[in-house]
Amino acid sequence: MRMLSELEDGEGMDSVLRTLARDLDVLLGGDRVITDPVRLRTYECDGLTNHRATPGIVVLPDSAEQVAGVVRECVRAGVPYVARGSGTGLSGGALPRTDGVLIVTSRMRRILEIDIPNQRAVVEPGVINLDVTRAVRADGYYFAPDPSSQQICSVGGNVAENSGGAHCLKYGFTAHHVLACEVVTPDGEIVELAADGPGYDLLGVFVGAEGTLGITTKITVRLTRVPQTVQTLLAAFESIEAGGRAVSAIIGAGVVPAAIEMMDALSIEAAEAAVNCAYPPGAGAVLIVELDGPEPEVAAQFADVERLCRDAGAFEIRIAADDAERALIWKGRKSAFAAVGRISPAYIVQDGVIPRTALPQVLARIDALSAESGVRVANVFHAGDGNLHPLVLFDDAEPGAAERAEEVSGAILDLCIEHGGSITGEHGVGVDKARYMPRMFTEADLDTMQMVRCGFDPGGLCNPGKVFPTPRLCGEVPGVRKGPHPFEGKADLF
Amino acid sequence: MATSAKALDALAAVCGDVRPGEPEEGVLGVEPALVAAPSSVDEAAGVMRVAAALGLAVVPRGGETRLDWGAPPARCDLLVDTRRLDALLEHTSGDLVVSAQAGMPMERLAEVLAERGQRLALDVPLPGSTVGGTIATAAAGPLRTLYGTPRNLVIGLTIVRADGQVARSGGKVVKNVAGYDLGRLFCGSFGTLGLIVEATFRLHPVPAARAWVTRDVDGPKQAYEAVQAVLHSPVAASAVEYIGPGKVAVLLEGVPDGLSLRARTTAGLLGGDAEIGGDPPAGWGRYPDGTTLIDVTAPPTALPDLLATAGTAVTWNGDGHGHVGLPAGSPPDVAVRLLGALRDVLGAHRGGAVVRYAPEDVREAVDAWGPVPALALMRRVKDQFDPDHRLSPGRFVGGIR
Amino acid sequence: MSGHDDLPKLLGDCVHCGFCLPTCPTYVLWGEEMDSPRGRIHLMQQHAEGAPMSAPMVKHFDACLGCMACVTACPSGVQYDRLIEMTRAQVEDEHPRPLRDRAVREAIFRLFPYRRRLRALRGPLRAYQRTGLDRLVRRTGVLERVSPSLAAMERLAPPLGRAPRLPERVAARGERRATVAMLTGCVQGEFFPEVNAATARVLALEGCDVLIPKGQGCCGALSVHSGRAEEGRAFARRTIEAFESADVVVVNAAGCGSAMKEYRTLLADDPSWARRAGAVSGKTRDLAEFLLELGPRAARRPLPVTVAYHDACHLSHAQGVRAQPRALLSGIPELTVREVADPDICCGSAGTYNVLNPGTAAELGDRKAGNVAATGAELLVAANPGCTMQIATALRRRGTPIAVAHTAEVLDASLRGLGPDALLGRAW
Repeated sequence: MRMLSELEDGEGMDSVLRTLARDLDVLLGGDRVITDPVRLRTYECDGLTNHRATPGIVVLPDSAEQVAGVVRECVRAGVPYVARGSGTGLSGGALPRTDGVLIVTSRMRRILEIDIPNQRAVVEPGVINLDVTRAVRADGYYFAPDPSSQQICSVGGNVAENSGGAHCLKYGFTAHHVLACEVVTPDGEIVELAADGPGYDLLGVFVGAEGTLGITTKITVRLTRVPQTVQTLLAAFESIEAGGRAVSAIIGAGVVPAAIEMMDALSIEAAEAAVNCAYPPGAGAVLIVELDGPEPEVAAQFADVERLCRDAGAFEIRIAADDAERALIWKGRKSAFAAVGRISPAYIVQDGVIPRTALPQVLARIDALSAESGVRVANVFHAGDGNLHPLVLFDDAEPGAAERAEEVSGAILDLCIEHGGSITGEHGVGVDKARYMPRMFTEADLDTMQMVRCGFDPGGLCNPGKVFPTPRLCGEVPGVRKGPHPFEGKADLF
Repeated sequence: MATSAKALDALAAVCGDVRPGEPEEGVLGVEPALVAAPSSVDEAAGVMRVAAALGLAVVPRGGETRLDWGAPPARCDLLVDTRRLDALLEHTSGDLVVSAQAGMPMERLAEVLAERGQRLALDVPLPGSTVGGTIATAAAGPLRTLYGTPRNLVIGLTIVRADGQVARSGGKVVKNVAGYDLGRLFCGSFGTLGLIVEATFRLHPVPAARAWVTRDVDGPKQAYEAVQAVLHSPVAASAVEYIGPGKVAVLLEGVPDGLSLRARTTAGLLGGDAEIGGDPPAGWGRYPDGTTLIDVTAPPTALPDLLATAGTAVTWNGDGHGHVGLPAGSPPDVAVRLLGALRDVLGAHRGGAVVRYAPEDVREAVDAWGPVPALALMRRVKDQFDPDHRLSPGRFVGGIR
Repeated sequence: MSGHDDLPKLLGDCVHCGFCLPTCPTYVLWGEEMDSPRGRIHLMQQHAEGAPMSAPMVKHFDACLGCMACVTACPSGVQYDRLIEMTRAQVEDEHPRPLRDRAVREAIFRLFPYRRRLRALRGPLRAYQRTGLDRLVRRTGVLERVSPSLAAMERLAPPLGRAPRLPERVAARGERRATVAMLTGCVQGEFFPEVNAATARVLALEGCDVLIPKGQGCCGALSVHSGRAEEGRAFARRTIEAFESADVVVVNAAGCGSAMKEYRTLLADDPSWARRAGAVSGKTRDLAEFLLELGPRAARRPLPVTVAYHDACHLSHAQGVRAQPRALLSGIPELTVREVADPDICCGSAGTYNVLNPGTAAELGDRKAGNVAATGAELLVAANPGCTMQIATALRRRGTPIAVAHTAEVLDASLRGLGPDALLGRAW
């Protein structure tokens, strides 16, 4: 193992951090504390690059005890800290604090236990999502949450973000597949939160709290039986509307597909450019429908799905004959986000949710927005549950383009709220959407959520500045605040 | 009582149905001074504001099916009855989502949904339970094998806080990670964090056909093997249940064409003289008989130990959760010993046991909740939601007030 | 330096998604952002924005194996291969290395690319192995103390037999289907001469006239992949001259094949060579790629053996050749191909990497060896001399030695009906 001891390089740090870095060095050993500015900067953002902050210190612990030790040192020094897994988040949930410590779990990546008889596994937070599935596949099991980044995102990150994925339509989110978490609380204690234990379901609120309630150090996940069969079809339509009709018909027929995904013409173009997915030429929209389960069940429903797609106007339907053909169908969809880089110098990946039945109206409004502003929008979405991923394209070299794209992107979120939807279906609020929270929730709603935060983290040092636009002062008695908030003006430290 | 009269007036000013409590309305013997039955969220908020202003201890009440669960409240100045809050707010069948007020009975909700071929995939072990009560007690039945408990199905929740503020979390879309999920936090919170007034659930289509495959088993080992065979197979059971004494039952749901083949496969997996039928076996979805009910967390491998320890009044679900009943008249020391034995054997499987209801003598003799790992954290959360300790004080874990 | 103007654009292609992380050998080992492709691109960006080429930066660039697994994994088409090549050149320009490092690097680049010098080393090395002195040296660890890099080189040296000479032309058997020129390579040619012999035989048996141009030397791969671009270009020009008259250039060493396919970019800015370089790149084929395109004609005889096929990075990631060797092997009756877990992760050989970074290379070698051993195969098949040496050494170290062969040798054994012993009798 190489040594990274570099405390001598820490000049320019403020004295609180310098002292803290020394203490952490003693606590963890030299190769687990990073203070060299060049190295620190590589941690300045996660998967969302338009918010950046170079962390004061980075630590790479490899046990729960070390994480707890780091948290206690931070509390003692009054320094904020942020946890980070693989750094693939798309809302800046792991954006570091320049005045704080970034606790990176990428070395905590052991699969501690595989318990097939009980259909569960125990993993460390840095374990990569797909590695859980790889470890249990031979036993006929898998870990159901499958975010597009599953080949690199960590299970700890999945817990923080309550990650979903294309198949959460049928199988649910991370919250439904985590049975227990060992958590380092913001006061540095190690506690076990379980879904089925006596008392409050603290696990239920911890999952999806975006790392603001503590740091998980051990996760018991539920393993799901690999379905007997999987059937995937790709249907090409002339328009998004026709594709939307097919989705409505499928859901209306009482079918619960494992996934229904839709891409519009612009996103198909991007995917073709990137991975040659060879989707039917001339398609204004493609729909990917996947059914899984017991063979006779899938066979019966699949025939229905195929018929419903044709009835809705599908001009070409391809059915995957084997895993390789299935992979080819999914290839275009899975590469869509990154592929947009091929047709546009820069883009914003938006994540909003609408009731599925509002799809036609909302898409028409997005079209209108795009036409009015001249900003191109590619649409990729989880059509089954109304989770839209509009990709707002712009040229970052063009003055004012980024701002216009940002405006369109924000207007799309307003559309989602207006139609009774959500500002985020899976990417999280993080730092990116905190400012939209008051559009979706009242002050009392947000205040109530923050009561939980105050219970967990009265000091407000655990990933501060995320999720909520204004922190709640924890000593305060419940009730609507009067006068300016004491933290006002301090919330935008970075 | 002068305070009561003053409170009655204040409550009457904000709520159309307010009256003094009756002796038979006691919550585990603690008689409420007043009962208020708001018919809207506004009225509910008004009631809670008055309660806050007057420092009244509040216990929510729905269908009274689980009011005898947990411990008696330390105080009960005001029962808030939700049965007039029983409206269906929105059922957008195309979105597979329904919103209802807390006092709506689960059966009525099911009828409305069935009209459009949909259902809330939660069983109702105790008829008459309300939406709010089901959430507050995290109640579920056999379908939990596939669909989980209320925490998996609640997608939006509106509550009235201790101070009378109305707060909402989640929404009416299934996929939503904006903000903390208070819905999950309130599941199983026994009225100690706030008053649940409205809930939104994700729905599922009513299956076109269903079949039960059952097998009589002889002893814990056979039960375990039958259960394991089904759990690890791809038949995709909606429910896997052990019903004491001696029966393993599997519910399959789906299209008629596929069902018969799946049922035969399942019968083969269960082994023995497995039978296929169109109706649930006796005891399906019911708590075991008795006047004491113990809720157990027991992962699949704990099943043999559970059965060996608990006797015959046992039900258990493949989700790793079960119930044990004790007959009326069981001496408290028998209950204490059984509970201790259950905690010993289940503890080794990372499980546990909690007493849900029991006669007074048993209740007083046992430690109903057992060890609660994150109790300190729970107290801190409770203190935030209820700093004056007025919401169902003493009803919940560790006597949380 | 070619393509320098492109740097900002090439850097800008990275959207920071992190898909490259799990395929990066150093990230797999250390779990640090700075030692992942995404982190290194970030460091390159810092440098492009004016940060000096500091020692920590250089350390992270040097730690990159150049395996290009990240290029395969990247959904945005980031050309990390070009980025790291440009960066390595900048490192050599801007960063003074300590004397000892410089000496080792000089020694490597004065030895490996030159067949005559390698040949001169063969005699003493064979004598050293025959006397058993090698085992003594390894046991005492004396070399390790003198220089870890030298020790690494010593451990990696394969057991040497007699080196057969190849003629300049090998005639096709039966009706001629193609005329191909063959690159013999430096390390391949000197340390694995039997691989070249087998390659020539297989090509001839499949109906190819095989030309082995006399003027050929090193293709420049080692130099280019180590930031010694100028040196690399000189090698490239010589190789182009030797091969440009051929219809097809068949290469059996993954690193060499990938370098020759990159001549196009390497010499793009050189007006008098750009076209010629492009032409040679365009007709360069890996042996497996070529044989599959040609289609089998010669009869395959049964070879009852279980093989683990190892993807050389410069074959799978740099050239995208994955299916072809497997197809060729599977086409042999009674032969079973087993997949090695984590096929995308480099074995640690990586050109000169295992000599310059012996510790890291050994860790990666051990991981790979574990995965190979887990397949239970009797024979390891790889198409790159570096990989073969690296993995065989690691397997020997963990006490599970295994026979090794090049795809060409397995085909040769089948076509000539030699039976498995011809391959299995050669355990290291």
